[in-house]
Amino acid sequence: MIKFLTPFEKISKTNRTLILTGWLVLLIAIWFIATSGEKHLFPSPSQVLTGFQELYKEGLVVHIFNSLKLCFISIFLATIISLVLAYSWPIPLLKSVSEFVTKFRFLPFTGLSFYITMVVHEARMMQVWILVIFLTTFLTTSLIAVIKDIPQEEFDHAKMLKCTRLEVLWQVIILGRIDYVIDVIRQNLAITWMMLVTVESIVVATGGLGFLIKNSDKFMNTGRIIALQIIILLIGLGLDAGINYLRKSIFRYSKI
Amino acid sequence: MTYEFKETLLYVENLSVAYDDTIIIKDINVIEKDVVRPNVDCTGQVIAFLGRSGRGKSTFFKALTGLIPSNTGKVLIRDFENSEPNAAKPVKEGDIGLVDQKYTLFRHKTVTEALKFSLRKTKLSESEKNEKIKQYLKEWGLDNCADKYPNELSGGQRQRTAIIEQLFSSDQFIVLDEPFSGLDVGNIQEVKKAFDLLGKSSEVNTVIFSTHDIELALELAQTIYVIGYPTIDGKLQSYGTIVAKYDLREMGLAWKDYCGDHLTLSKEIIHQMMIS
Repeated sequence: MIKFLTPFEKISKTNRTLILTGWLVLLIAIWFIATSGEKHLFPSPSQVLTGFQELYKEGLVVHIFNSLKLCFISIFLATIISLVLAYSWPIPLLKSVSEFVTKFRFLPFTGLSFYITMVVHEARMMQVWILVIFLTTFLTTSLIAVIKDIPQEEFDHAKMLKCTRLEVLWQVIILGRIDYVIDVIRQNLAITWMMLVTVESIVVATGGLGFLIKNSDKFMNTGRIIALQIIILLIGLGLDAGINYLRKSIFRYSKI
Repeated sequence: MTYEFKETLLYVENLSVAYDDTIIIKDINVIEKDVVRPNVDCTGQVIAFLGRSGRGKSTFFKALTGLIPSNTGKVLIRDFENSEPNAAKPVKEGDIGLVDQKYTLFRHKTVTEALKFSLRKTKLSESEKNEKIKQYLKEWGLDNCADKYPNELSGGQRQRTAIIEQLFSSDQFIVLDEPFSGLDVGNIQEVKKAFDLLGKSSEVNTVIFSTHDIELALELAQTIYVIGYPTIDGKLQSYGTIVAKYDLREMGLAWKDYCGDHLTLSKEIIHQMMIS
Protein backbone atom coordinates (compact mmCIF):
# COMPACT_ATOMS: atom_id res chain seq x y z
CA MET A 1 0.00 0.00 0.00
CA ILE A 2 2.86 2.39 0.89
CA LYS A 3 4.21 1.72 -2.60
CA PHE A 4 1.02 3.19 -4.11
CA LEU A 5 1.49 6.40 -2.13
CA THR A 6 5.20 6.85 -2.87
CA PRO A 7 5.85 9.53 -5.52
CA PHE A 8 7.44 8.29 -8.82
CA GLU A 9 7.04 4.66 -7.78
CA LYS A 10 6.65 2.32 -10.76
CA ILE A 11 3.62 0.02 -10.62
CA SER A 12 2.50 -2.86 -12.82
CA LYS A 13 -0.18 -2.58 -15.50
CA THR A 14 -2.54 -4.80 -13.48
CA ASN A 15 -2.16 -2.58 -10.42
CA ARG A 16 -2.80 0.48 -12.55
CA THR A 17 -6.01 -1.06 -13.90
CA LEU A 18 -7.06 -2.03 -10.37
CA ILE A 19 -6.54 1.53 -9.10
CA LEU A 20 -8.51 2.97 -12.01
CA THR A 21 -11.36 0.50 -11.50
CA GLY A 22 -11.35 1.30 -7.79
CA TRP A 23 -11.74 5.02 -8.43
CA LEU A 24 -14.55 4.40 -10.93
CA VAL A 25 -16.44 2.17 -8.50
CA LEU A 26 -15.97 4.80 -5.78
CA LEU A 27 -17.29 7.55 -8.07
CA ILE A 28 -20.36 5.52 -9.04
CA ALA A 29 -20.97 4.58 -5.40
CA ILE A 30 -20.79 8.27 -4.33
CA TRP A 31 -23.19 9.11 -7.16
CA PHE A 32 -25.70 6.48 -6.01
CA ILE A 33 -25.43 7.40 -2.32
CA ALA A 34 -25.47 11.19 -2.82
CA THR A 35 -28.58 11.04 -4.99
CA SER A 36 -30.49 8.43 -3.00
CA GLY A 37 -32.40 10.99 -0.88
CA GLU A 38 -35.44 12.97 -1.95
CA LYS A 39 -33.64 16.29 -2.44
CA HIS A 40 -30.47 16.33 -4.49
CA LEU A 41 -28.78 18.84 -6.79
CA PHE A 42 -27.21 16.25 -9.07
CA PRO A 43 -29.54 13.89 -11.02
CA SER A 44 -29.71 10.27 -9.87
CA PRO A 45 -28.48 7.41 -12.12
CA SER A 46 -32.09 6.47 -12.90
CA GLN A 47 -32.84 10.07 -14.00
CA VAL A 48 -29.78 10.02 -16.26
CA LEU A 49 -30.87 6.68 -17.70
CA THR A 50 -34.31 8.11 -18.42
CA GLY A 51 -32.52 11.06 -20.03
CA PHE A 52 -30.65 8.67 -22.31
CA GLN A 53 -33.87 6.91 -23.31
CA GLU A 54 -35.67 10.19 -24.04
CA LEU A 55 -32.75 11.48 -26.06
CA TYR A 56 -32.61 8.29 -28.09
CA LYS A 57 -36.31 8.57 -28.89
CA GLU A 58 -35.79 12.19 -30.00
CA GLY A 59 -33.20 11.14 -32.55
CA LEU A 60 -29.95 11.29 -30.60
CA VAL A 61 -28.07 9.41 -33.36
CA VAL A 62 -29.05 12.00 -35.97
CA HIS A 63 -27.95 14.81 -33.65
CA ILE A 64 -24.61 13.10 -33.00
CA PHE A 65 -24.17 12.66 -36.75
CA ASN A 66 -24.90 16.38 -37.32
CA SER A 67 -22.38 17.41 -34.66
CA LEU A 68 -19.70 15.08 -36.03
CA LYS A 69 -20.32 16.34 -39.57
CA LEU A 70 -19.93 19.92 -38.42
CA CYS A 71 -16.81 18.95 -36.47
CA PHE A 72 -15.14 17.20 -39.42
CA ILE A 73 -15.99 19.91 -41.98
CA SER A 74 -14.66 22.63 -39.66
CA ILE A 75 -11.49 20.72 -38.77
CA PHE A 76 -10.83 19.92 -42.44
CA LEU A 77 -11.18 23.54 -43.58
CA ALA A 78 -9.30 24.95 -40.58
CA THR A 79 -6.46 22.43 -41.06
CA ILE A 80 -6.03 23.38 -44.74
CA ILE A 81 -5.92 27.11 -43.91
CA SER A 82 -3.63 26.56 -40.89
CA LEU A 83 -1.21 24.42 -42.88
CA VAL A 84 -0.89 27.09 -45.56
CA LEU A 85 -0.25 29.70 -42.85
CA ALA A 86 2.20 27.49 -40.92
CA TYR A 87 4.15 26.42 -44.00
CA SER A 88 4.50 30.06 -45.04
CA TRP A 89 5.90 30.93 -41.62
CA PRO A 90 9.56 30.21 -42.63
CA ILE A 91 9.20 32.65 -45.57
CA PRO A 92 10.33 36.06 -44.23
CA LEU A 93 7.69 38.06 -46.14
CA LEU A 94 4.82 35.89 -44.90
CA LYS A 95 6.08 35.23 -41.37
CA SER A 96 4.32 38.25 -39.87
CA VAL A 97 1.01 37.26 -41.48
CA SER A 98 1.14 33.79 -39.89
CA GLU A 99 2.13 35.19 -36.52
CA PHE A 100 -0.60 37.83 -36.70
CA VAL A 101 -3.24 35.12 -37.24
CA THR A 102 -2.09 33.29 -34.08
CA LYS A 103 -2.78 36.43 -32.01
CA PHE A 104 -6.46 36.26 -33.00
CA ARG A 105 -6.94 33.42 -30.54
CA PHE A 106 -7.24 36.03 -27.80
CA LEU A 107 -10.29 37.59 -29.44
CA PRO A 108 -13.67 36.95 -27.75
CA PHE A 109 -15.96 34.43 -29.37
CA THR A 110 -19.15 36.46 -29.26
CA GLY A 111 -17.74 39.62 -30.81
CA LEU A 112 -16.46 37.90 -33.92
CA SER A 113 -19.55 35.73 -34.35
CA PHE A 114 -21.57 38.96 -34.51
CA TYR A 115 -19.67 40.03 -37.64
CA ILE A 116 -19.91 36.57 -39.18
CA THR A 117 -23.71 36.65 -38.82
CA MET A 118 -23.70 39.86 -40.85
CA VAL A 119 -21.72 38.26 -43.70
CA VAL A 120 -22.99 34.67 -43.68
CA HIS A 121 -26.76 34.25 -43.50
CA GLU A 122 -27.26 30.51 -43.68
CA ALA A 123 -27.18 29.08 -40.12
CA ARG A 124 -25.17 25.92 -40.87
CA MET A 125 -22.56 27.87 -42.85
CA MET A 126 -22.42 30.37 -40.01
CA GLN A 127 -21.59 27.57 -37.55
CA VAL A 128 -18.92 26.21 -39.88
CA TRP A 129 -17.19 29.56 -40.39
CA ILE A 130 -17.27 30.55 -36.74
CA LEU A 131 -15.56 27.27 -35.91
CA VAL A 132 -13.13 27.49 -38.84
CA ILE A 133 -11.98 30.99 -37.88
CA PHE A 134 -11.42 30.11 -34.24
CA LEU A 135 -9.87 26.73 -34.93
CA THR A 136 -7.49 28.23 -37.49
CA THR A 137 -5.97 30.50 -34.85
CA PHE A 138 -5.35 27.60 -32.43
CA LEU A 139 -4.16 25.14 -35.08
CA THR A 140 -1.79 27.69 -36.65
CA THR A 141 -0.31 28.45 -33.20
CA SER A 142 0.30 24.74 -32.53
CA LEU A 143 1.69 24.05 -36.02
CA ILE A 144 4.11 26.97 -35.81
CA ALA A 145 5.24 25.65 -32.41
CA VAL A 146 5.95 22.27 -34.06
CA ILE A 147 8.10 24.00 -36.73
CA LYS A 148 9.93 26.05 -34.10
CA ASP A 149 10.77 22.84 -32.23
CA ILE A 150 12.57 21.24 -35.19
CA PRO A 151 16.27 21.05 -34.26
CA GLN A 152 18.66 23.09 -36.42
CA GLU A 153 20.55 19.84 -37.18
CA GLU A 154 17.62 18.61 -39.28
CA PHE A 155 17.74 21.69 -41.50
CA ASP A 156 21.55 21.46 -41.75
CA HIS A 157 21.29 17.77 -42.62
CA ALA A 158 18.94 18.53 -45.52
CA LYS A 159 21.20 21.36 -46.72
CA MET A 160 24.18 18.99 -46.58
CA LEU A 161 22.31 16.67 -48.97
CA LYS A 162 22.22 19.51 -51.50
CA CYS A 163 18.55 20.34 -50.87
CA THR A 164 17.36 23.69 -52.16
CA ARG A 165 15.57 25.89 -49.61
CA LEU A 166 12.19 24.73 -50.99
CA GLU A 167 13.32 21.11 -50.72
CA VAL A 168 14.33 21.75 -47.09
CA LEU A 169 10.81 23.08 -46.45
CA TRP A 170 9.26 20.08 -48.21
CA GLN A 171 11.45 17.37 -46.68
CA VAL A 172 12.01 18.64 -43.15
CA ILE A 173 8.82 20.55 -42.39
CA ILE A 174 6.08 19.23 -44.66
CA LEU A 175 6.98 15.53 -45.08
CA GLY A 176 9.12 15.29 -41.95
CA ARG A 177 6.40 16.54 -39.61
CA ILE A 178 3.20 15.24 -41.26
CA ASP A 179 2.53 12.97 -38.28
CA TYR A 180 2.75 15.99 -35.99
CA VAL A 181 -0.10 17.62 -37.96
CA ILE A 182 -2.36 14.73 -36.97
CA ASP A 183 -1.21 15.05 -33.37
CA VAL A 184 -1.89 18.80 -33.40
CA ILE A 185 -5.42 18.10 -34.66
CA ARG A 186 -5.84 15.53 -31.87
CA GLN A 187 -4.62 17.96 -29.22
CA ASN A 188 -6.91 20.72 -30.50
CA LEU A 189 -9.86 18.37 -30.78
CA ALA A 190 -10.87 19.07 -27.19
CA ILE A 191 -11.13 22.80 -28.01
CA THR A 192 -13.01 21.98 -31.23
CA TRP A 193 -15.47 19.74 -29.45
CA MET A 194 -16.04 22.31 -26.70
CA MET A 195 -16.50 25.16 -29.19
CA LEU A 196 -18.73 23.05 -31.40
CA VAL A 197 -21.28 22.45 -28.67
CA THR A 198 -21.21 26.15 -27.76
CA VAL A 199 -21.60 27.23 -31.40
CA GLU A 200 -24.49 24.81 -31.88
CA SER A 201 -26.26 26.23 -28.87
CA ILE A 202 -25.67 29.86 -29.94
CA VAL A 203 -26.55 29.46 -33.60
CA VAL A 204 -29.39 26.97 -33.57
CA ALA A 205 -29.48 25.42 -37.02
CA THR A 206 -29.92 21.78 -37.95
CA GLY A 207 -29.76 20.23 -34.50
CA GLY A 208 -26.67 18.74 -32.97
CA LEU A 209 -25.58 17.96 -29.41
CA GLY A 210 -25.32 21.65 -28.50
CA PHE A 211 -28.90 22.18 -29.61
CA LEU A 212 -30.02 19.26 -27.40
CA ILE A 213 -28.20 20.67 -24.37
CA LYS A 214 -29.74 24.10 -24.94
CA ASN A 215 -33.22 22.51 -25.09
CA SER A 216 -32.67 20.39 -21.97
CA ASP A 217 -31.28 23.42 -20.17
CA LYS A 218 -34.43 25.38 -20.95
CA PHE A 219 -36.65 22.82 -19.21
CA MET A 220 -34.21 22.20 -16.33
CA ASN A 221 -34.04 18.53 -17.28
CA THR A 222 -30.85 17.73 -15.38
CA GLY A 223 -31.01 13.99 -16.16
CA ARG A 224 -30.85 14.74 -19.88
CA ILE A 225 -28.08 17.31 -19.44
CA ILE A 226 -25.83 14.83 -17.64
CA ALA A 227 -26.71 12.10 -20.17
CA LEU A 228 -25.64 14.48 -22.95
CA GLN A 229 -22.44 15.45 -21.13
CA ILE A 230 -21.55 11.76 -20.84
CA ILE A 231 -22.23 11.23 -24.55
CA ILE A 232 -20.13 14.27 -25.50
CA LEU A 233 -17.28 13.12 -23.26
CA LEU A 234 -17.33 9.59 -24.67
CA ILE A 235 -17.40 10.77 -28.30
CA GLY A 236 -14.53 13.18 -27.59
CA LEU A 237 -12.45 10.44 -25.97
CA GLY A 238 -13.29 8.08 -28.83
CA LEU A 239 -12.17 10.61 -31.44
CA ASP A 240 -8.96 11.28 -29.51
CA ALA A 241 -8.11 7.58 -29.28
CA GLY A 242 -9.10 7.00 -32.92
CA ILE A 243 -6.87 9.77 -34.26
CA ASN A 244 -3.96 8.63 -32.08
CA TYR A 245 -4.37 5.07 -33.39
CA LEU A 246 -4.54 6.38 -36.96
CA ARG A 247 -1.28 8.33 -36.52
CA LYS A 248 0.57 5.37 -35.06
CA SER A 249 -0.67 2.92 -37.68
CA ILE A 250 0.00 5.16 -40.70
CA PHE A 251 3.36 6.51 -39.58
CA ARG A 252 5.58 3.73 -38.28
CA TYR A 253 8.34 6.20 -37.47
CA SER A 254 6.08 8.40 -35.37
CA LYS A 255 6.97 8.39 -31.70
CA ILE A 256 5.67 11.61 -30.25
CA MET B 1 56.46 4.07 -44.49
CA THR B 2 56.95 5.76 -47.86
CA TYR B 3 54.29 8.05 -49.28
CA GLU B 4 53.92 10.76 -51.84
CA PHE B 5 51.82 13.94 -51.96
CA LYS B 6 49.70 14.50 -55.07
CA GLU B 7 47.23 17.29 -55.81
CA THR B 8 45.68 19.61 -53.26
CA LEU B 9 42.25 18.45 -52.08
CA LEU B 10 41.41 21.05 -49.44
CA TYR B 11 42.61 24.63 -49.20
CA VAL B 12 41.46 26.89 -46.36
CA GLU B 13 42.93 30.37 -46.19
CA ASN B 14 42.50 32.96 -43.42
CA LEU B 15 39.04 31.72 -42.49
CA SER B 16 37.30 33.85 -39.87
CA VAL B 17 33.77 33.76 -38.48
CA ALA B 18 32.18 36.32 -36.17
CA TYR B 19 28.68 36.57 -34.74
CA ASP B 20 27.79 40.26 -34.34
CA ASP B 21 30.95 41.67 -32.76
CA THR B 22 32.20 38.41 -31.25
CA ILE B 23 34.96 36.70 -33.17
CA ILE B 24 34.57 32.91 -32.90
CA ILE B 25 37.39 31.73 -35.16
CA LYS B 26 40.08 33.74 -36.91
CA ASP B 27 42.78 33.20 -39.53
CA ILE B 28 42.43 29.46 -39.92
CA ASN B 29 44.68 27.99 -42.60
CA VAL B 30 44.60 24.37 -43.69
CA ILE B 31 46.12 22.67 -46.74
CA GLU B 32 45.53 18.97 -47.29
CA LYS B 33 46.87 17.05 -50.26
CA ASP B 34 46.09 13.65 -51.67
CA VAL B 35 48.54 11.22 -50.19
CA VAL B 36 49.50 8.09 -52.08
CA ARG B 37 51.36 5.07 -50.72
CA PRO B 38 53.08 2.59 -53.03
CA ASN B 39 51.69 -0.94 -52.85
CA VAL B 40 48.52 0.33 -51.12
CA ASP B 41 45.38 0.44 -53.28
CA CYS B 42 43.72 3.41 -51.63
CA THR B 43 44.82 5.80 -48.92
CA GLY B 44 42.09 8.19 -47.99
CA GLN B 45 43.01 11.27 -45.98
CA VAL B 46 42.06 11.37 -42.31
CA ILE B 47 42.42 14.68 -40.49
CA ALA B 48 41.65 15.25 -36.82
CA PHE B 49 40.83 18.50 -35.06
CA LEU B 50 41.41 18.61 -31.33
CA GLY B 51 40.78 21.37 -28.87
CA ARG B 52 39.05 22.20 -25.64
CA SER B 53 35.31 22.88 -25.61
CA GLY B 54 34.19 26.27 -26.85
CA ARG B 55 37.28 26.91 -28.98
CA GLY B 56 35.28 27.03 -32.23
CA LYS B 57 35.65 23.53 -33.69
CA SER B 58 31.96 23.21 -34.56
CA THR B 59 31.87 26.75 -35.97
CA PHE B 60 34.91 25.94 -38.08
CA PHE B 61 33.19 22.79 -39.39
CA LYS B 62 30.05 24.74 -40.24
CA ALA B 63 32.06 27.37 -42.13
CA LEU B 64 34.11 24.64 -43.80
CA THR B 65 30.97 22.91 -45.07
CA GLY B 66 29.34 26.16 -46.21
CA LEU B 67 26.57 26.04 -43.62
CA ILE B 68 27.48 29.44 -42.22
CA PRO B 69 29.11 32.27 -44.15
CA SER B 70 32.64 33.27 -43.25
CA ASN B 71 33.56 36.89 -42.58
CA THR B 72 36.94 36.59 -44.22
CA GLY B 73 38.95 33.96 -46.05
CA LYS B 74 38.06 31.19 -48.43
CA VAL B 75 37.55 27.45 -48.58
CA LEU B 76 38.46 25.69 -51.81
CA ILE B 77 38.10 22.00 -52.59
CA ARG B 78 39.28 19.89 -55.52
CA ASP B 79 36.81 20.10 -58.39
CA PHE B 80 36.51 16.47 -59.45
CA GLU B 81 34.32 17.35 -62.43
CA ASN B 82 37.17 19.36 -63.91
CA SER B 83 39.90 17.11 -65.31
CA GLU B 84 42.60 19.79 -65.17
CA PRO B 85 45.21 19.12 -62.48
CA ASN B 86 44.65 21.05 -59.25
CA ALA B 87 41.30 22.43 -60.46
CA ALA B 88 39.55 23.86 -57.42
CA LYS B 89 36.15 25.34 -56.59
CA PRO B 90 34.83 27.37 -53.67
CA VAL B 91 32.89 25.21 -51.26
CA LYS B 92 29.12 25.51 -51.07
CA GLU B 93 26.40 23.76 -49.05
CA GLY B 94 26.47 20.04 -49.77
CA ASP B 95 29.95 19.82 -51.34
CA ILE B 96 31.38 18.61 -48.04
CA GLY B 97 29.19 16.19 -46.09
CA LEU B 98 28.66 16.84 -42.38
CA VAL B 99 27.68 14.18 -39.88
CA ASP B 100 26.69 15.80 -36.61
CA GLN B 101 26.95 14.36 -33.10
CA LYS B 102 23.33 13.18 -33.19
CA TYR B 103 23.73 11.38 -36.56
CA THR B 104 20.70 13.24 -37.91
CA LEU B 105 18.69 11.48 -40.62
CA PHE B 106 15.32 12.15 -42.24
CA ARG B 107 12.89 10.72 -39.67
CA HIS B 108 10.32 9.86 -42.36
CA LYS B 109 12.64 7.91 -44.67
CA THR B 110 13.82 4.32 -44.36
CA VAL B 111 17.54 3.65 -44.80
CA THR B 112 17.04 2.71 -48.47
CA GLU B 113 14.82 5.74 -49.12
CA ALA B 114 17.35 8.04 -47.44
CA LEU B 115 20.24 6.65 -49.48
CA LYS B 116 18.23 6.87 -52.68
CA PHE B 117 17.45 10.49 -51.86
CA SER B 118 21.13 11.29 -51.36
CA LEU B 119 21.88 9.82 -54.79
CA ARG B 120 19.14 11.81 -56.53
CA LYS B 121 21.54 14.34 -58.06
CA THR B 122 23.97 11.76 -59.46
CA LYS B 123 23.91 10.64 -63.07
CA LEU B 124 23.39 6.99 -62.15
CA SER B 125 20.43 5.10 -63.57
CA GLU B 126 17.75 3.74 -61.25
CA SER B 127 19.17 0.22 -61.37
CA GLU B 128 22.72 1.48 -60.78
CA LYS B 129 21.50 3.42 -57.75
CA ASN B 130 19.78 0.32 -56.36
CA GLU B 131 22.90 -1.73 -56.98
CA LYS B 132 25.14 0.85 -55.28
CA ILE B 133 22.84 1.06 -52.26
CA LYS B 134 22.74 -2.73 -51.98
CA GLN B 135 26.52 -2.95 -52.19
CA TYR B 136 27.11 -0.31 -49.51
CA LEU B 137 24.49 -1.77 -47.18
CA LYS B 138 26.27 -5.10 -47.41
CA GLU B 139 29.78 -3.68 -46.98
CA TRP B 140 28.76 -1.52 -44.03
CA GLY B 141 26.77 -4.28 -42.31
CA LEU B 142 23.40 -2.63 -42.78
CA ASP B 143 21.69 -5.14 -45.07
CA ASN B 144 19.11 -6.05 -42.43
CA CYS B 145 18.29 -2.36 -41.87
CA ALA B 146 17.29 -1.49 -45.44
CA ASP B 147 13.63 -0.96 -44.60
CA LYS B 148 14.07 0.45 -41.12
CA TYR B 149 13.31 4.01 -40.05
CA PRO B 150 15.90 5.98 -38.01
CA ASN B 151 13.98 5.39 -34.77
CA GLU B 152 14.35 1.66 -35.34
CA LEU B 153 18.16 1.79 -35.73
CA SER B 154 20.89 1.52 -33.10
CA GLY B 155 23.32 4.41 -32.58
CA GLY B 156 26.01 2.68 -34.65
CA GLN B 157 23.60 1.86 -37.47
CA ARG B 158 22.35 5.43 -37.54
CA GLN B 159 25.88 6.75 -37.73
CA ARG B 160 26.88 4.41 -40.56
CA THR B 161 23.74 5.36 -42.49
CA ALA B 162 24.50 9.05 -41.95
CA ILE B 163 28.07 8.57 -43.20
CA ILE B 164 27.02 6.66 -46.35
CA GLU B 165 24.32 9.24 -47.03
CA GLN B 166 26.84 12.09 -46.90
CA LEU B 167 29.37 10.08 -48.89
CA PHE B 168 26.80 9.52 -51.68
CA SER B 169 25.80 13.15 -51.79
CA SER B 170 29.03 15.08 -51.18
CA ASP B 171 32.15 15.36 -53.29
CA GLN B 172 34.17 12.79 -51.33
CA PHE B 173 34.71 15.04 -48.33
CA ILE B 174 33.16 14.15 -45.01
CA VAL B 175 33.26 16.08 -41.78
CA LEU B 176 32.28 14.28 -38.57
CA ASP B 177 31.67 16.42 -35.52
CA GLU B 178 32.75 14.39 -32.48
CA PRO B 179 31.81 10.99 -33.92
CA PHE B 180 33.00 9.16 -30.81
CA SER B 181 31.21 11.15 -28.15
CA GLY B 182 28.92 9.05 -25.99
CA LEU B 183 29.71 5.79 -27.80
CA ASP B 184 30.50 2.51 -26.04
CA VAL B 185 33.54 0.37 -26.91
CA GLY B 186 31.59 -1.64 -29.49
CA ASN B 187 30.28 1.40 -31.28
CA ILE B 188 33.74 3.02 -31.27
CA GLN B 189 35.05 -0.07 -33.06
CA GLU B 190 32.24 0.28 -35.61
CA VAL B 191 33.14 3.92 -36.30
CA LYS B 192 36.80 2.98 -36.63
CA LYS B 193 35.76 0.34 -39.15
CA ALA B 194 33.75 3.01 -40.99
CA PHE B 195 36.86 5.23 -41.16
CA ASP B 196 38.79 2.29 -42.57
CA LEU B 197 36.11 1.63 -45.18
CA LEU B 198 36.07 5.30 -46.18
CA GLY B 199 39.84 5.36 -46.58
CA LYS B 200 39.91 2.17 -48.60
CA SER B 201 37.01 2.98 -50.92
CA SER B 202 38.62 5.93 -52.72
CA GLU B 203 42.06 7.51 -52.97
CA VAL B 204 40.61 11.01 -52.67
CA ASN B 205 38.14 10.38 -49.84
CA THR B 206 38.92 12.91 -47.12
CA VAL B 207 37.60 12.44 -43.60
CA ILE B 208 37.81 15.36 -41.20
CA PHE B 209 36.73 14.80 -37.62
CA SER B 210 36.85 16.40 -34.21
CA THR B 211 37.27 14.53 -30.97
CA HIS B 212 38.26 14.90 -27.35
CA ASP B 213 39.89 11.46 -27.44
CA ILE B 214 43.55 12.15 -28.23
CA GLU B 215 44.44 8.45 -28.35
CA LEU B 216 41.81 7.79 -31.03
CA ALA B 217 42.94 10.83 -33.00
CA LEU B 218 46.52 9.56 -32.97
CA GLU B 219 45.41 6.09 -33.98
CA LEU B 220 43.24 7.18 -36.90
CA ALA B 221 44.51 10.48 -38.27
CA GLN B 222 47.41 11.37 -40.54
CA THR B 223 47.31 15.03 -39.60
CA ILE B 224 46.23 16.53 -36.28
CA TYR B 225 45.33 20.18 -35.84
CA VAL B 226 44.83 21.73 -32.42
CA ILE B 227 42.30 24.55 -32.29
CA GLY B 228 42.64 26.83 -29.28
CA TYR B 229 42.96 30.41 -28.12
CA PRO B 230 46.28 31.85 -29.32
CA THR B 231 48.59 33.85 -27.10
CA ILE B 232 49.69 37.12 -28.72
CA ASP B 233 52.20 39.40 -26.96
CA GLY B 234 51.75 37.38 -23.80
CA LYS B 235 47.97 37.84 -23.80
CA LEU B 236 45.53 34.94 -24.29
CA GLN B 237 43.04 35.85 -27.03
CA SER B 238 39.37 34.85 -26.96
CA TYR B 239 38.94 33.46 -30.48
CA GLY B 240 39.83 30.05 -31.85
CA THR B 241 42.57 29.41 -34.36
CA ILE B 242 45.00 26.64 -35.20
CA VAL B 243 47.65 26.68 -32.50
CA ALA B 244 49.48 23.51 -33.51
CA LYS B 245 49.71 21.11 -36.42
CA TYR B 246 51.19 17.60 -36.28
CA ASP B 247 51.83 15.71 -39.51
CA LEU B 248 51.96 12.12 -38.35
CA ARG B 249 53.19 10.98 -41.78
CA GLU B 250 56.28 13.18 -41.50
CA MET B 251 56.78 12.00 -37.93
CA GLY B 252 56.53 8.36 -39.02
CA LEU B 253 53.54 7.79 -36.77
CA ALA B 254 50.76 7.42 -39.33
CA TRP B 255 49.31 4.02 -40.34
CA LYS B 256 50.97 2.46 -37.28
CA ASP B 257 49.67 0.79 -34.15
CA TYR B 258 49.63 2.94 -31.03
CA CYS B 259 53.13 2.93 -29.48
CA GLY B 260 55.42 4.86 -27.13
CA ASP B 261 56.02 7.66 -29.67
CA HIS B 262 52.28 8.22 -29.92
CA LEU B 263 52.19 8.56 -26.14
CA THR B 264 54.93 11.20 -26.20
CA LEU B 265 53.06 13.12 -28.87
CA SER B 266 49.85 12.75 -26.88
CA LYS B 267 51.51 14.55 -23.93
CA GLU B 268 52.66 17.34 -26.24
CA ILE B 269 49.12 17.72 -27.65
CA ILE B 270 47.63 17.85 -24.13
CA HIS B 271 50.12 20.58 -23.26
CA GLN B 272 49.13 22.56 -26.38
CA MET B 273 45.46 22.19 -25.52
CA MET B 274 45.98 23.29 -21.95
CA ILE B 275 47.83 26.48 -22.85
CA SER B 276 45.28 27.47 -25.46
